[in-house]
Amino acid sequence: MSVLRISDLTIDYRLGQGSVRAVDHVSLEIEAGEAVGIVGESGCGKTTLGLSVPLLLPANASVSDGHIVLNGESLIGRSEEEMNHLRWKSVAFVFQGAMNALNPVHRIDKQILEAIQTHEPETSKDDAYARVLELIELVGISPSRAKSYPHEFSGGMRQRAMIAMSLACRPSLLIADEPTTALDVISQAQILALLGELRSQENLSLVMISHDLSAIKKVCDRIVVMYAGVIVESGPTDTVLRRKNGVVTAAHPYTRALMGAHPDLSGERILAPGLAGNPPDLSKPITGCRFAARCPEVMEICRTQTPPTVTITPGHSVTCHLSVRSAS
Amino acid sequence: MSMKDMNPTNDTVLSVSDLVVRFESGGRQSKKKIVRAVDGVSFEIVRGEIVALVGESGCGKSTIAMAVMRLIKPTSGQIISDGLDLATIHGRALQRARRRIQMIFQDPFGSLDPRQTVMEAVSEPLTIHKVGNSAGERKELVFEALRMAQLNPPERLSENFPHELSGGQRQRVAIASAMVLSPALVVADEPVSMLDVSARAGILRLMMDLRDRLGVSYLFITHDLATAWVVADRIAVVYLGRIVETGPSEVLVKNPAHPYTQALLNASQDGDTTISAAASVLKGEAPSAAAVPTGCRFHPRCPKYVELGKPESCRSEDPRLRVIKKGEIARRDHSAACHFTDEVK
Repeated sequence: MSVLRISDLTIDYRLGQGSVRAVDHVSLEIEAGEAVGIVGESGCGKTTLGLSVPLLLPANASVSDGHIVLNGESLIGRSEEEMNHLRWKSVAFVFQGAMNALNPVHRIDKQILEAIQTHEPETSKDDAYARVLELIELVGISPSRAKSYPHEFSGGMRQRAMIAMSLACRPSLLIADEPTTALDVISQAQILALLGELRSQENLSLVMISHDLSAIKKVCDRIVVMYAGVIVESGPTDTVLRRKNGVVTAAHPYTRALMGAHPDLSGERILAPGLAGNPPDLSKPITGCRFAARCPEVMEICRTQTPPTVTITPGHSVTCHLSVRSAS
Repeated sequence: MSMKDMNPTNDTVLSVSDLVVRFESGGRQSKKKIVRAVDGVSFEIVRGEIVALVGESGCGKSTIAMAVMRLIKPTSGQIISDGLDLATIHGRALQRARRRIQMIFQDPFGSLDPRQTVMEAVSEPLTIHKVGNSAGERKELVFEALRMAQLNPPERLSENFPHELSGGQRQRVAIASAMVLSPALVVADEPVSMLDVSARAGILRLMMDLRDRLGVSYLFITHDLATAWVVADRIAVVYLGRIVETGPSEVLVKNPAHPYTQALLNASQDGDTTISAAASVLKGEAPSAAAVPTGCRFHPRCPKYVELGKPESCRSEDPRLRVIKKGEIARRDHSAACHFTDEVK
């Protein structure tokens, strides 16, 4: 059964006179226990998509179309009070820069305890505290450090504490927005390993939003590539991100450009050309493919016609005129 | 071909020897601790060379950069550039010397003054160092620096404020204001880690182009071994205030000798590694620089130490950096600070 089903979701931001369509008819399904990574540059809509699930969008955002179904229940149009019952228990969120989201004047154990007591008032204080210590241990922090203040922790430990807190009410779905971005490589690898372990131990479904493809490759089963508010490619991580002896199976030129942007230690010692320019202005309607203006393989048809989504192999689909051509 | 191969001899831009930076931590007199942020570091950079310092957060790599810039005063050691010891000079002499060494910071959103136009930001170093005889001449120098940083057309972009630019463009402005004084050395502290992946390659390519065209050298500070490998001629891996391994980038990445370098490499591989490889990564945190372990400072986290049955020497003797493989010139030796380097493949 799917934990989360997003269909045709469209989100607009009101800005001054006009509006910006940050997410444009996006559909996505997450199975129980599955880990899905969402990648793309800043401003491509990945954070907006993530925030839409717990309905935590900023005040100037509105859902113009589509449905979000979490554990069989439709979320769009729910009141703030109803959502408060679902947040933390059904879906928890680890924010970008979460290391700085801890309250500096409270001890770590107290902050996690508060989360449990707020959302499960029926739990006794002793039981709740026992769970706090369990959670702290679960994320690899010694329970003897439970009474520390956030400033006594390193960045990696603060991120672990935030993950412990997000699991306080045993959610079925965890959405982590750039969980490793501000950390150094060793802490990154530790946090990614932790997320992988939690997934199997706690039977957690995971949505990981990141611009770091190698992080997604290490944790996620499936990858979704977003560009300018739409999904341009999605498929099994092993297939989409395969890079062996120079052979790349990623089908969309944007995915390939993202893959080339970071040097691969097992590949050739060269600096890839990168991707010039910026994503398009989403306050204006776009004709043709959204990526056409930056695409190194652009064709005439790309500038005039919206590309269709084609399935290349089961589970691997791409929205690009090039793939239509090679399929036929 | 880069400059490094053409000039193997006396072209040293920077020579750091036995650099030590200690801080006294706050608190009551009885509780004060000495933090050994940089604990005896030596390296040199020649004209047109890119040297990368790689390590975890808190390893002291940024403190080394700040000491080289003389933004902090080293406790001891020498920082020789252009015949002067930057560690001891001050006042006018220091200000003159600073002209030759410029810096690019990590955060292009924070390092530019939001109320200064690009023209004001890039011309400020010229004013400080009294370069150019007239406003017109200075303006020309700014335009040239902007063109060099590929901010075209400079006439229009120079009037922009930082908020009107993308992250990549802002970092190009930072590069232009570093290059406007034609420095011999640029210290770049994580110059791309705050940028979008798509903008990173462009900035790194620009830095390498400027090296090839102008012969400028870089001290490149990063935690990303893969980027260091592609960009730098030589890499020095820093752990708890010491260089634990150094060598030509290709040699160091293909044949890492120190167990710490191997762990860093494991953590940065993205080839076909999955969660199991990621999980085999070092446990725990680097110890605090206020309590450096005895013997080899890496032994409490070292997988090799456990594998070899916890040898006494790792706990009692501080390993010195020694040559494992001689380079064609001394500067390009491959060296590591590990008692069991030979056993390490």
